[in-house]
Amino acid sequence: MSALIELTIEGRKISVPIGTTVFDAARLNGIPIPTLCHQQNETPVGVCRVCVVDVGARVLTASCIRPVESGMVVSTASEKVQRARGTLVELLMSDHPSPCARQQHSGDCELETLAKRHNISQPRFSRRTTSRGKDVSSPSITVDFDACILCDRCIRGCSEIRENFVLGRMGKGSIAGIAFDDNLPMGNSSCVSCGECMVSCPTGALTNKGVAQTALGAGPGFEPVGLDELKQLSFFQGVSGTFLSLNRGAIVRRNFKRGEMICREGEYGSTAFYILEGKARVSISSPMAHVKTIGRLKRFLGKLSSRLAEREQDKRAEETEQQWIPIDAPVDLAYENPVADLGPGDLFGEMTCMSLYPRSATVRAATDCTVLEMLRNVLDIMQRSKNFRAQLDKSYRQRALDTHLRAVPVFAGLTDEFIESLREKVELIRYSPGQVICHQGDPADSFYLVRIGFVKVSQAHLGGDMVLAYLSRGDYFGETGLLAGDVRTATCSALDHVELVRMGADDFNRMIEQFPDVRQKLKAVEQDRAEMNQARLSLTRSVPLDSFLQQGLMEAQSLLLLDLDNCTRCDACVRACADAHDGITRLVREGLRFDHYLVATSCRQCLDPLCMVGCPVGSIRRRNSLEVIIEDWCIGCGLCAENCPYGNINLHPFDVMVEDPENPGRKKAAVKQKATSCDLCTNYAEPSCVYACPHDAAHRVDPRKFFAGLIGQGQAKT
Amino acid sequence: MRIDGTHKKWLVASLIILSVATTVYVLYASNSVTGPRGGSAIGLTFGIIGSAFMIFSGLLAARKKVEVWRLGRAQSWMRGHLWLGFLSLPMILFHGGFKFGGPLTAVLMVLLILVVASGVFGAALQHYLPKVMTSEVPFETIFEQIDHVRAQLLAEADELIARASAPLKLVAAAPSGDLAATADSVLAADDALAPLRTFYTREMRPFLENSGERKQPLADAERARGIFDGLRRLLPAGTHETANNLEEICEEERQLRRQVRLHHLLHDWLMLHIPLSFALLLLGCVHAVMALRF
Repeated sequence: MSALIELTIEGRKISVPIGTTVFDAARLNGIPIPTLCHQQNETPVGVCRVCVVDVGARVLTASCIRPVESGMVVSTASEKVQRARGTLVELLMSDHPSPCARQQHSGDCELETLAKRHNISQPRFSRRTTSRGKDVSSPSITVDFDACILCDRCIRGCSEIRENFVLGRMGKGSIAGIAFDDNLPMGNSSCVSCGECMVSCPTGALTNKGVAQTALGAGPGFEPVGLDELKQLSFFQGVSGTFLSLNRGAIVRRNFKRGEMICREGEYGSTAFYILEGKARVSISSPMAHVKTIGRLKRFLGKLSSRLAEREQDKRAEETEQQWIPIDAPVDLAYENPVADLGPGDLFGEMTCMSLYPRSATVRAATDCTVLEMLRNVLDIMQRSKNFRAQLDKSYRQRALDTHLRAVPVFAGLTDEFIESLREKVELIRYSPGQVICHQGDPADSFYLVRIGFVKVSQAHLGGDMVLAYLSRGDYFGETGLLAGDVRTATCSALDHVELVRMGADDFNRMIEQFPDVRQKLKAVEQDRAEMNQARLSLTRSVPLDSFLQQGLMEAQSLLLLDLDNCTRCDACVRACADAHDGITRLVREGLRFDHYLVATSCRQCLDPLCMVGCPVGSIRRRNSLEVIIEDWCIGCGLCAENCPYGNINLHPFDVMVEDPENPGRKKAAVKQKATSCDLCTNYAEPSCVYACPHDAAHRVDPRKFFAGLIGQGQAKT
Repeated sequence: MRIDGTHKKWLVASLIILSVATTVYVLYASNSVTGPRGGSAIGLTFGIIGSAFMIFSGLLAARKKVEVWRLGRAQSWMRGHLWLGFLSLPMILFHGGFKFGGPLTAVLMVLLILVVASGVFGAALQHYLPKVMTSEVPFETIFEQIDHVRAQLLAEADELIARASAPLKLVAAAPSGDLAATADSVLAADDALAPLRTFYTREMRPFLENSGERKQPLADAERARGIFDGLRRLLPAGTHETANNLEEICEEERQLRRQVRLHHLLHDWLMLHIPLSFALLLLGCVHAVMALRF
C-alpha cells in the first residue's frame, strides 16, 4: 500500500495515497468538483479546465491533473473559483448550440446542465458565425461538430477503452475538431460503430441516431428482443453491448403465420429482415409485361389505348434475353416464374434498409416463420460484425453465387465445376455512398459483379467527367482493362451502399481461357460499349454550343419541340397525348428553352440518366442506342418517375388478375402500375401530340439535324 | 396559327377560287336581267359553296374533340378553317348579290361579317402574340400554375426579408460586453434595414398579393427600376443582394401578369367567335330550309 498524504479540501482534513489527483481526492471524500473533459475510466488531460480549484498558488489549477501535496489546502467552490469556472462555462457555451441534440432528446447535456447551475442562459461572448457542420454519414451516430467542446473524451474512449484508434484531432485554433481516420466521413471510416465515443461525449456532439429515429413499434407478430437474447445470437457476438442497449427499439422479433405478408413490393420501408426460423416465399406479383400502345381501328377513328404485352408478344429492339430478375434478397427470380424461397440465415431488404429504396418483391411466410426486423443502424453494425459478414458471405457463396453469375447472360454458360472452383475465391466487398471503387488509369486487377446498390461509371475528358452508365445488381465492370491487360478505362464509384463480388485477375483470366465463348461475348459487349461511348464523346465534341450541351439536347434521339413563335398555348398536344394513353399524359408543356423552341417534357435519353438509379429490380436500362427501355418486370414502385428531373416517366395503372394469397389457387382483380415513357405512338406515322397540334408548333425531330443550322453544321430542317 | 410561307399553297388556291368566283359573279351579275339573286342557279351555287366552307370551318371544333382520330392533321384542318372560312364571306356576298335581304338574311350577313372579322382578328392575334409572349415572358409557366408560382414568389420574398433581418436577432442575442454599445449597434442596424422593411410591407407585398391591381408603381418596369435603385442607395451594401433578389421577384411577377394578359388576348376572342359561329350555322340551316321550302 502506498504512503498517505494529508491535505485539506473545503476545510476537511483528508488522507489519500501519494499520486492521487486533487479531483480524485475530493471525489473519494464526497466533495464534488464539476468537470467536462474527465472521466473515471480515461486518462485525465485537463483540457476543459472546468475542474479548477484554488490550491493557494498564483493561479487556479485543474484538479483532474494536479497530484495532491502534503499540507495542501484546497478550495473547490470559493467565489474566485466559481467566477473562473463560470467564465469557462460561459466561453464554452458561446461556442455550443443550445439546446444541443442531447439536451433536446434527453436533457442531460453536461455542459448545459453546468451552465444552468451557473445561471448562464445567454453567454456574453459573440457566437461563431459559421457552422462547423454535421457528419451524418454513419447510419448509427450523428456528429454535430458545432456541439463539440474538444474535450477529447471520445478520442480517449476510442483509443484507450476500445483500442480502435479511429478518432483523433484535426486542425488548430478555431478550426480544430475531431476527425475519423484521415478526416474521412464517419460512415466511410474504419469506425466499427461500437458506440464508445457517443457514450463518452458530454454534449450532443456525438448522438445515437436511434435517439432521433423512430423505433420499430408494435406490428404484425411483434415481440421485443432482450439484450441478453441478442447477445446469444452468434452474429451479435462482438457487437458492443452499449450499442445494442442504446438501440434496443431498433431491432424486434416478428412471428409470422404461414401465408402472412412480411413486406410488399413497391412499398417504401426502412428495415431489413433476417430469417431466424421457418421459410419465406419471395415473389413479384406485377405482371411480367411492358406497356404497349395500340390503336383500335387503325389509321382512321383509331382511339389509342394501352395494354400490357409480354416480351414474347411484343419484341422490342434490343429486348434483353435476361432470364433472371435481380431483387433485394440473396436470390434472383426467374422471369418465367418469379418465385423463390428464403430460409434461416437469409437476410433480405438490405437496399431498402440502407438506401431507402422501395421493396423489390413481396415476401410472405411460406411456413410459420420468425424473423428479426432491424433498422439501418443495426444492420450497419451487423454488417461490420466479422461473424455476421462471414455468415452472409458463406450463405452467398453456397446459395447465390451460381444464380447470380448465371443471371448475367454472358456467364450463363459457365460450368458447375468452374463456379464451384470460384466459390472460395470470390470476395464480397462493401462500399459506402460516394466511395471510389477504382480510378481511371489504375492497373486493372479485378473484375466486379454488382450484388447490391448502384455504381456510377464515368470517364474523365477535357471539360469534365462524362457519365457512361449506372450499374445495378446483375451488371458487371472491370472486364475492359482485364481483357486488354491494361489499366482501368473509367472511374467507378458507389452511388449508395454498394456490395460487389470481386473476382481477381487470375481467376478472370482462367475463366476466359477455359470458356472462349465467355471471352467472345465479353469482347462483343466491350466493343458495343466502346462504340457507344465513342459516339457520345464525338457528339459532345462536335457541338460548339454550350447551352445546347448543357441542356443535354445532343443526347436525344428524338426531341419533342414546341415552336413558341407558333404555339398559342392551347394545350391540344397535351390533351392528345392523354387521349392516346388512356387519360394519362406523357407530355407536359414545360421544359427547357433553346432558341425559340421549348423542349417539352418527353423522354430524351439524358447524358446522366438519373431515372435508372435506385430501380429495386433493375428493370429500367439503356439500349445501346441510348434509348430507355423499361423491362417487363417493372413493379411500378415509381422511383424512376420520382428520380427523373424532367418528369418524363409516368405510371400507368392497369386492371389485372393476380394470385389471391387468402385463397391459394384463385385469382382476384387488382390494379398494378407500370412505368412508361413516351412511345412516340409507335402505331402511327406521327405521334399524337404532333398530329393534334393545329398551329404547326409541335415537332418530333432529330436534334442534330433540326438544329444543324443553329449549331453551325448546315441548315436547320424539320 | 402563324400565317407564313407554309400557307403559300392555300393562299394561291384561295386566290384562284376567289378570282374564278369573282369572274363568274361579274359575268352573271352583268348579264342577269333581274340582277343577281340568291335563288338563281348561280346564286344557289354560291350559297352552297359558301355554306360548305362555313360548315367545314365549323367542323374544326368537332375535329378538336377527337384529337387522336386520324382524320387528317389538325394543322391542315386549321389552314382549311382559316382560308375557306375567309372565302365563305365573298361566296355568301356573291350569293346574296351584296344585298342583305329580309330580317333573317340581314342577321345572317351581320353574323357572317362578325364571325369572319373576329376570325381575322383572332388569326392576327395568334400570328403576332406567341412571338411576343416568347420574347417578353422568358419566365413563362403553364397558365394553370400561375397562382401556384405566385404563392411561391411571395413565400420566397417573405423569406428573403426574414433572412435579411436575421443578423439583427443574432446581434441582439449575443451582446459582447458593453450592453449600451451593443444596443446602439442593434438600433443602428435596425435603422439601416428600416427602408427595406417599409418598402416591402407598403409596396412590394401588396404588389405580389394583388395581381389584379395594375396601377401599382412596381407594375411598371421603368418605375420599378427607379424604385429599386433608390432603395439600394438607402441600404447598406450587405443587403444589396437581397434588394437584387427582390427586384428579380418583382420582374417575375410582372412577367406573369404579362403572360396572363397575353393569354387572355390569345384565347378570349374565341368567346365571341365560337358562339357567333354556332349561331351563324344554326340560322344558316333555318335560312336554307326556309328558302328551299318557300
